[in-house]
Amino acid sequence: MKRVGLLLVAIMLIVGIVGLSKVVTITLWTAPNPNQNLFWKTLVPMFEKTHPNIKIKWSQIPATGSSEEAILTAIASNRQPDICTNIFNGFAAELIESNVVVPFDSFPDFNALLKARHMEKVIKGWENNGHYYVIPIYVNPMMIWWRKDLLKANGFNAPPRTYSDVYKLAEKVTIPHRRYAYRPVGGTKWWDRWFDFIMDYYAASNGKPYLDVSRQMTFINDKFGKEVATFFYTMFKKGYATTDYGRDPLENGTVLGSVEGPWHIPYVKQHYPNVYKNIVVTPPLVPDDHSANSPVYTYADTKGLVMFKSCKNKEAAWEFIKWVFSDPSHDALWVKLTNMPPARGDLLSNPLFKPYFKDPIIAAYAKYVPYAVPTAPTSKTVDIQQAMTNDLIEPLEYLKTTPDKALAKTAAEINDILSQ
Amino acid sequence: MKNGIRTLKRIENIKGWLLSLPYWIFASIFFGYAFIWLVLLAMSKWNFITPRKMIWLKNFIHVFQDPMFWTVTWNTTRFMLYYIPSVLVLSLALAIALSKAKHFGAFFAMSFLVANVSSGVAYSIVFSKIFSSTGPINNFLYDTFGVVIPWFTDPTWAMLSIVIIVLWKFVGYYALIFLAGLQAIPKELYEAADLDGATKWTKFFRITLPLLNPSFVMIIVLAIGLSFGIFTEPFMITGGGPLNTTQTFMLTIYTTAFEKYKAGYAAAWSIVAAAMSFSIIWVSRKLIERDVSFS
Repeated sequence: MKRVGLLLVAIMLIVGIVGLSKVVTITLWTAPNPNQNLFWKTLVPMFEKTHPNIKIKWSQIPATGSSEEAILTAIASNRQPDICTNIFNGFAAELIESNVVVPFDSFPDFNALLKARHMEKVIKGWENNGHYYVIPIYVNPMMIWWRKDLLKANGFNAPPRTYSDVYKLAEKVTIPHRRYAYRPVGGTKWWDRWFDFIMDYYAASNGKPYLDVSRQMTFINDKFGKEVATFFYTMFKKGYATTDYGRDPLENGTVLGSVEGPWHIPYVKQHYPNVYKNIVVTPPLVPDDHSANSPVYTYADTKGLVMFKSCKNKEAAWEFIKWVFSDPSHDALWVKLTNMPPARGDLLSNPLFKPYFKDPIIAAYAKYVPYAVPTAPTSKTVDIQQAMTNDLIEPLEYLKTTPDKALAKTAAEINDILSQ
Repeated sequence: MKNGIRTLKRIENIKGWLLSLPYWIFASIFFGYAFIWLVLLAMSKWNFITPRKMIWLKNFIHVFQDPMFWTVTWNTTRFMLYYIPSVLVLSLALAIALSKAKHFGAFFAMSFLVANVSSGVAYSIVFSKIFSSTGPINNFLYDTFGVVIPWFTDPTWAMLSIVIIVLWKFVGYYALIFLAGLQAIPKELYEAADLDGATKWTKFFRITLPLLNPSFVMIIVLAIGLSFGIFTEPFMITGGGPLNTTQTFMLTIYTTAFEKYKAGYAAAWSIVAAAMSFSIIWVSRKLIERDVSFS
């Protein structure tokens, strides 16, 4: 009898302990990028060590044509993770409209996190109807890399600042099919518009939005859009640009200037170390009447993370997110591994980040984080940018139309898309 | 006796169904269910996330009103006009050459098949580098003649360049089909023609070509199906450009479904493309196919 009683007490104690120390599992998907993988591979075990009740089941976003495709098919089959990174503004708008993500401002200590990470200004670009559904992880301002050795060899001591500066350089250095001054158009995919037209529009307009989603209209056919479109048209008309530059054109000297993100740094350092020493970074080109003393805005290649409403342990997931982003040493590790500026406003003032910004190229990116503007928060990003490609960029590249006509047609198409 | 036969027949019937049951289960899940779901999807508006909404025939009407549909139809027509005559001529010529090879014929035949089994992604990347403006072909042309051919970046050349790559991939495979057809033609027919004093061209046009009709029909059907199904090369090399001149049905369906999240509209496109492909194949067979007998 005594033994039975003791056994019962022991069982109740075990059940009680197990119940109290119940381990919850959070699934985390992150961008399929080797440098970012190293970051999460380091942080996840650190978190689990300090939070033994929370287990993080971490994996890369499954390999498909795009992260968005993988995430959507996961949602359609109810296999989505609890937390997912690599979300850009336009895709976030799609998820928000579909009511599948959690507003982070619903957590009581959200503002404390913003303050701890100095994100008060950066987060504004991610606001959606007064709420915040995305924690931005990094902000990559798009910049232009110039070969200062080739510039100097051709008599130019400073890289071009304005469109006319580029024309002068192009007149001097262009050898058809062999060498060009600058690569104005990024490519023919819809996302390439971020790195040419949209970037240049922000630069020309001092960061003015190119869309007003609530009023269902675009402004790309205004004065600034016309200046950018005319620049592209002139470059192709005069033979200063082409549609195929081959592989690694900047590194191989096919172009003297090219738009690049900080993710390009490790590649060039590894494969073209001598070229890396001769790179100088500038903000995007601006129209001739843009004051040299005004800041130059650029496009922000910025991604963040979301929490899906299907998450069964939202408090635990929020605990993980807070832990990752409250500690500046985590952001320092991020910079160290990825060379991408974390989405925080104290990059150049916080001494913790100083060692990582000794490299002038990386420091240039950090400097322009406050002037980097993300893409318009619309769920119709792909349609809109496909319209820019089909009706504006390609017809100008192949000289099938004029800037005014192309802009008018594209603006009409985009307004139609927004109104659907 | 009659009852015994009926019972035997019933047993054989049941056995037949049981043996083919795994296939029917497989087909009903992966073909039947998928097809029904496709039709439902084509009549719906769905972005993978929110609940599906029935809009009946609106997607189909939208397809025919979409300027991209007419662009893609014209691109597919152009592809067929370049590809089908070229592949018929080249693969027949190759098959005749292989039939005359005294030594290593099988080795050469298998070698041409290597192109057919190669990864589409891999060879697309290789070809895009080879034909690039700074690739080996253009470097040679520029150094020798001072010209550069914009293989994939010019609206006129881009589709032709894709056709060249697809020709490279399928010429060997179709040549084997022709080779089998050539080897099936009885030699006595040629001997009889020789006795009648027929020239080699007469024998070719009066004996070889007519008796290769089944092979022609098979290759034309495969080529038409391929024209409507081409995806890897335009996706990897041109992205549908320049100026949408290499935009194909499959590429449009893929981007509509997985980049624009319009699954219902993409499903409608796929049904329209399938119907067009089937119709053209049916008409082609009616026009070309003949009964061929060697007796």
